Amino acid sequence: MTKKPGANGFVEHTLANGLKIVIEPMPHASSAAGGFLVRTGARDEDSHLAGVSHFLEHMCFKGTAHRDWKQITNEFDDMGSTYNAYTSKERTVYFGWVRTDDFERQVELLADMMQSVVPPEEFEMEKKVILEEIAMSEDSIERKVYDLMHEAVYPGHPLSWPVLGTTASVSGLTRDQLHGYFLDRYHPANMVLMVAGAVEPNSVIEMADRLCGQWPVRAPRPARHRPKAELSGVRKVVAERFQRQAIGLLYPGPSALHEDRDNGDVLASILGGQNSRFFWNIIQAGVAAHVAAGRLDYCDDGMMIAFGFSEPDRCQQLLDAMRRELDKVMKEGVTEDEVQRVKNRSRTGLATEAEAPYYRLMQMIQDIDDFGRPRSVDERLAAIDAVTPESIRGYLQRWPLAGDCMLISLGPRDWPT
Amino acid sequence: MSANEVFHHRRLACGAEFAAIALPGRHTTSFQIRLLCGLVDEPDDQLGLARIVEETVGKGTEKRTARQLSDAFDAIGAQAGSGVGRESIVFRCSCLPEFTAEALALHAEMLRTPTFPQEYCDVALELGLQELAAIEDDPSELASRLISPHAFGRLLGRHELGTRESLERINREAIVEFWRSNFSANRMQFTIGGAFDVEKVASDVDRLFAGFGDHVSSGRGCVPVEFNPGVRHHHKETEQQQILMCYPGVAVTHRDYAVERVMLGVLGGGMSSRLFTEVREKQGLVYWVGAWDDHPKGSGLIFLGASTTPARCDQTIRTLLREVERLGEDLTEAELQRAKVGIIAKMQTHGDITRARLGELSADVFHHGRPIGADEKTAQIQAVTTADIRRYLEEHPRDRLCVQTLGPRVMEALA
Repeated sequence: MTKKPGANGFVEHTLANGLKIVIEPMPHASSAAGGFLVRTGARDEDSHLAGVSHFLEHMCFKGTAHRDWKQITNEFDDMGSTYNAYTSKERTVYFGWVRTDDFERQVELLADMMQSVVPPEEFEMEKKVILEEIAMSEDSIERKVYDLMHEAVYPGHPLSWPVLGTTASVSGLTRDQLHGYFLDRYHPANMVLMVAGAVEPNSVIEMADRLCGQWPVRAPRPARHRPKAELSGVRKVVAERFQRQAIGLLYPGPSALHEDRDNGDVLASILGGQNSRFFWNIIQAGVAAHVAAGRLDYCDDGMMIAFGFSEPDRCQQLLDAMRRELDKVMKEGVTEDEVQRVKNRSRTGLATEAEAPYYRLMQMIQDIDDFGRPRSVDERLAAIDAVTPESIRGYLQRWPLAGDCMLISLGPRDWPT
Repeated sequence: MSANEVFHHRRLACGAEFAAIALPGRHTTSFQIRLLCGLVDEPDDQLGLARIVEETVGKGTEKRTARQLSDAFDAIGAQAGSGVGRESIVFRCSCLPEFTAEALALHAEMLRTPTFPQEYCDVALELGLQELAAIEDDPSELASRLISPHAFGRLLGRHELGTRESLERINREAIVEFWRSNFSANRMQFTIGGAFDVEKVASDVDRLFAGFGDHVSSGRGCVPVEFNPGVRHHHKETEQQQILMCYPGVAVTHRDYAVERVMLGVLGGGMSSRLFTEVREKQGLVYWVGAWDDHPKGSGLIFLGASTTPARCDQTIRTLLREVERLGEDLTEAELQRAKVGIIAKMQTHGDITRARLGELSADVFHHGRPIGADEKTAQIQAVTTADIRRYLEEHPRDRLCVQTLGPRVMEALA
C-alpha cells in the first residue's frame, strides 16, 4: 500500500513486529537525516547498573555480526556523514545526516548497529574511554551543577543518577550486564526509526521492513516510577577547584507531556532568555555574567529553574536579584509585548529549523519521545502562538515561582551559611 | 547545495564590499557585516577593547535606547548576534525574508549612531572582569588562551577578554575612539544569502552606509604570525590534563590549503580518523581528541589537542606526535578518499542551512577577497593525491612545536 503524508506532513507506519517509523519528506533539501530512538536512559537503570545506557551507546559503535568497530566508523566516514549518538535521562539516540544518495546506506548501517553484539573484546577498552569522559565532566562546573540538581530533587530515584554513571558504577559494570540490558531494551517495542529529508517515504518503509522487519519481538521496557520531587530546602556542595559559584532556584514545573509546557517555555524565555528580564536587570546591572531561566522536563515531572554563575562574594546579590524578578513576575505577570517578542523570535527559529533535515530530525526525536507523535513546524508555531499573558498568569497560579523551592549552591564558597 | 551557484560581488559606492548568493525558495535570509578591525587593532595597553566595543555598540543609538533597539530586532524576529575575532568583528543576522530591509536598517543605525551610554560601558567592563575569572572554570578554553600568544604572536595571539589590568585601563572615551577609528563602510564586508532581491539589497546597503566613517582608511593587509615554539605547562588541580600542540601550516589562499584540509581529515576528521582510532579506540587514552586548523588572514597553524587523566598523558602525547609522522609513511588511498568525501559531503549537507552557507561565503570573501563556488572547492579537494599529502608533510616539517599543557602534572614526554 502506498503511503502519503498526512495532514501534518508526516508519513507514519508500523512494521509487523511493532517498529514504528516516522518520516517527514522535505523535497526542497539536498540531504536526509535518519536515526533510531531507543526509549531507555539513565532513569531506566537499576542502581547497580548506573551508566549502562550510556555505556551501551558507546558499545553500539563497536561491533555487529557483520561489522567490527573499524568497519562501522569507516562506513560512516565513507559517506561523509554527520553522525553521532547521545544518551539522556530518558532516551538513547543514534543518528546520521548524509547526502540523499547515501541515505539508504546510512539507514542500513544504523540498523545494523541496533543489532550490536556488544563485542566482549572491546569492552574493557571502551570502559577506559568512558572513565575519561567521567573525569572530563568532573572538571565542568556546568555538568557538576546539573548532576547536583538531580541528586537534590530526586533523591533515591533513578533520575538522580548521572547519565554517565560514576567511576565506581562504571568500573563495576560487566560486558554480560551490558548485553543483558541490550537484549532487554533494543527491540521494536522500545524503538522508533525517524527520517527527515529529501526521501521517498514508501521506499524508506520498504527499506525499513527489509532491514528491521525480522527483529525479534520482546516485551516493552518496564514501566517508569514517578519521582517524588523534593523542592524545598538548601543543597550546597563546596568545590574549591572552581572560581565561580553556581546558584539555582528550583521550582515545580510541568512535565514534558503537560499542556503547560509552551506556557512554561515562553515564560522562561521572558525571564531568562534573549532580551529578557534577567538580561537587563541582572546581567546588565553587572551582578553576574551568566544568568538564565529554563525548564527541565521528563515524562512525568518537571522543574522551572532560575540559575546563574557568580563571583563567590556576590552569591547573595545574585540570589536576591533572581528572587526579585520572580516576585515581580508573580505579582505583575508578563506583558503582551514580551510574549509577542518570544513569538517573533520563534518564528524565525522555526523557519531555520524547517530548512535542515538535521534540525528537523532532532526536534522529531524530542516530540516523538515526549508526545508519542511528531509535531510539524506549523503545529509548534501554533502552540507558541496560543500563549498569551493570561495563559502565563494561569501557569503561574498552577506552578508558582514563589514559596517553597530548592536552593542549589556549588562552588568554592560554603554558602549559604 | 546547488552546483550552479550564482554570486554577486562588487564594491559599492559607499565603500563596502558586497557579496550575495541568492538561494531561491529558502525561508530565511542570513547576512553578515564584517568590520575589518579586531583584537590586532587594540592599543597595547587596552587589550580587550574590541570586545567591549562589540558588546556596547548595540546598547543604544541616537534614536533608541538599548532596550528599544533590542525590542526593535525582536519586533521583526531577527536573530542577531556578534562576535569579535583577531582581525574582524562580525555582526550576524538571520530573519524571515520579508524583514530583510528592516534588519539591515537596524544594523546600520546600530553601527553608525551608537551612543555608548556610560552605564553600559561600565557594566561591559565589569562583566569582562567576571568573564576573565570564569575562564578558570573552563580548562580547555584556558589552555587555548595560554597557548595563543606563543602560537600566533603578540598581536594575533591576543585573547578577546584582555587582562584584568588592561580592562581596568579602558574607559568610555577609549571605546568611542576605537569605534570612530575603525568602524567604516570601506572597512566593511557585507555578505548575504537566502531569498531576496539582490539589487534591492545592494541598493539598501549602499544607501544605509553611504558616508559611514569616510575618514577611516580602508582595511590593512595581513598581520604576520610570530610563532614561538616551546613547551609550557600551567599547573592546575584538575581531573584531566589538557594537551594542546601546534605548528605552522599554510594560509587559506595557499595552493596547498586543500591538501592540508584533506590531511587534517585523515588525521582527525571523524571517528575513523587516525587520532580517534589510535588514541581513543585502540588505547582508550581519551574521550576527546582532535586535530584542526586555525587561520588568520594569510597564515595558518595546525593544532592537535586532547584531554586525559594525568597518568596517561605522556602516552597520549607520544601517540599524537607519532600519528602525524606516520601519515607520511603509510597513508592509504582509502583513507584519502574518505577524508575527501567527508569534506565535500559536509559542505553539501550543511549547505541546506542558509546561515551555514552564508558563513562560508563570508569567510571566503574575507580570506580570498571573492566568493568561491562549491564546484571550485570540490574540484580542489578532489584533486588531492596521496603524493600531495606526502609532499606537504615533507615541505612543512614539525621540528618546531608549540606545546601547552594544563593540569596537575608536568609531562615527561616533552621534557
